[in-house]
Amino acid sequence: MSAFQENFFTRGPSPLARLTFFSLVAIAIMIADHRFQALAFLRLGVSVVLTPVEQTLMLPGKLIQSLGLYFSDQNRLIAENATLNAKVMELTAGHQQAQLIRAERTYLTTLSEANKRLGDRGVLAEIIRDARNPFVRKVVINKGSSHGLRAGLVVIDAVGVVGQLTAIGIMTSEITLSTEKNQSVPVLALRSGLRAIAVGNGRDGSIDVPFIPLAADIQVGDALVTSGIDGTYPAGLSVAIVASVDRNPAFQFARISATPASGTEQHRFVKVLTQEELKEYPQPDVKAEEGKLGRERTGPKRREVR
Amino acid sequence: MDLTPASRDSMRLPVPLRLLIGSFVAAFLINLMPWRGLALQVYPDFVLLILLYWAIQEPRSVGQGLGFLLGLLMDVADSALLGQHALIYVVVIFFAQLLRVRVLQQSLPAQALHVGVLLALAQLISVGLNLSMGRELSGFWLIFSPLLSAILWPAISVFLALPRLRLRPGQIIS
Repeated sequence: MSAFQENFFTRGPSPLARLTFFSLVAIAIMIADHRFQALAFLRLGVSVVLTPVEQTLMLPGKLIQSLGLYFSDQNRLIAENATLNAKVMELTAGHQQAQLIRAERTYLTTLSEANKRLGDRGVLAEIIRDARNPFVRKVVINKGSSHGLRAGLVVIDAVGVVGQLTAIGIMTSEITLSTEKNQSVPVLALRSGLRAIAVGNGRDGSIDVPFIPLAADIQVGDALVTSGIDGTYPAGLSVAIVASVDRNPAFQFARISATPASGTEQHRFVKVLTQEELKEYPQPDVKAEEGKLGRERTGPKRREVR
Repeated sequence: MDLTPASRDSMRLPVPLRLLIGSFVAAFLINLMPWRGLALQVYPDFVLLILLYWAIQEPRSVGQGLGFLLGLLMDVADSALLGQHALIYVVVIFFAQLLRVRVLQQSLPAQALHVGVLLALAQLISVGLNLSMGRELSGFWLIFSPLLSAILWPAISVFLALPRLRLRPGQIIS
């Protein structure tokens, strides 16, 4: 067996021709992926093959970890058990109250048919690794489409919003963290009720809150929770705490940065909210509009609305 | 623009297919390991390194087509934009094809320098593509990846030449 080719002199297209061809194809694929998200099926197909390999590669690390745990002292386990027990008590009390509140709310929402919030539905998942790409803020979890997940679902941890599912495999899926560049979450300042958008800036541990007027009522320490007006994120999930507010009169807007509420980079278990009730939000009929207007979504449509 | 003469290659024994495939599988597995933190920024792209090696040593078997396919595979594995690694691999292999006769005449350290420049180009394209998509530069540690790769080049060259030495005793691998 050899890789030696039979044809000795026929060499096919020149390197430059090949370069041109392959670069054009690569650029076309990039555009298709970036602008239209058209190649999810390709990703899914390849990830089906890759996942078992990756799992196998992580075995040695897991083995060492579990070996370390095996030898870890009993005191630590006892202490952990105690804190967990305390936590359970705390949560039980909270849960009972929550049941009451939920019952009240159900009654109220049946009256008003308004804003429904998340129920208990969700899938618990474990983060198996970071995305191997220093440019993105993504992590991979061990649940996928076979567990009923789909792209766009919201992921939370014990404290608050972690991010959103963006790529789904069969057994794994990718979470884009809310700190990822341009990953935005509609939020509400709990204290003042000010509505805003929290936008990731691509750095760990920091989220921007753009387009807030200088005079707006927002302070350091304000808790930002999801406002629920986009129909993607259920209302009331903790997103970030305002860390700094810079009101420079030279600019139109205040420069506000916030610290993510969830330990976006450290947690291990997360919950994916499979929020069925959110289907009731009115969905914009994008397809029909595009059909009518082609690519242009500005101009005539705006006037119609007004 | 074809600057790769065929005469040199015809005199050498072909590389066994299993060595070719084996090296790619090994490189791919190393790339798939759960790199994180600083290691994620500085680890050498082994698939690209092996691609370069074979593109220089065996231009008849390994070329831009294989680079393109492996690039797509790496894109999915790295959750990068689809086509990004493919473009980088194809461009780098193109320059390797232009430079291969020159590179093959050098000593191993000098070869490493050439390869280092090619890999720096790859890193530059990667950074450029990511910046053009509005992503933040994750730190200057990224420049150490091509450096590490260049340092690994002599070792990889010797390692991959060993099986072929066994193939024909006495033959000197360039």
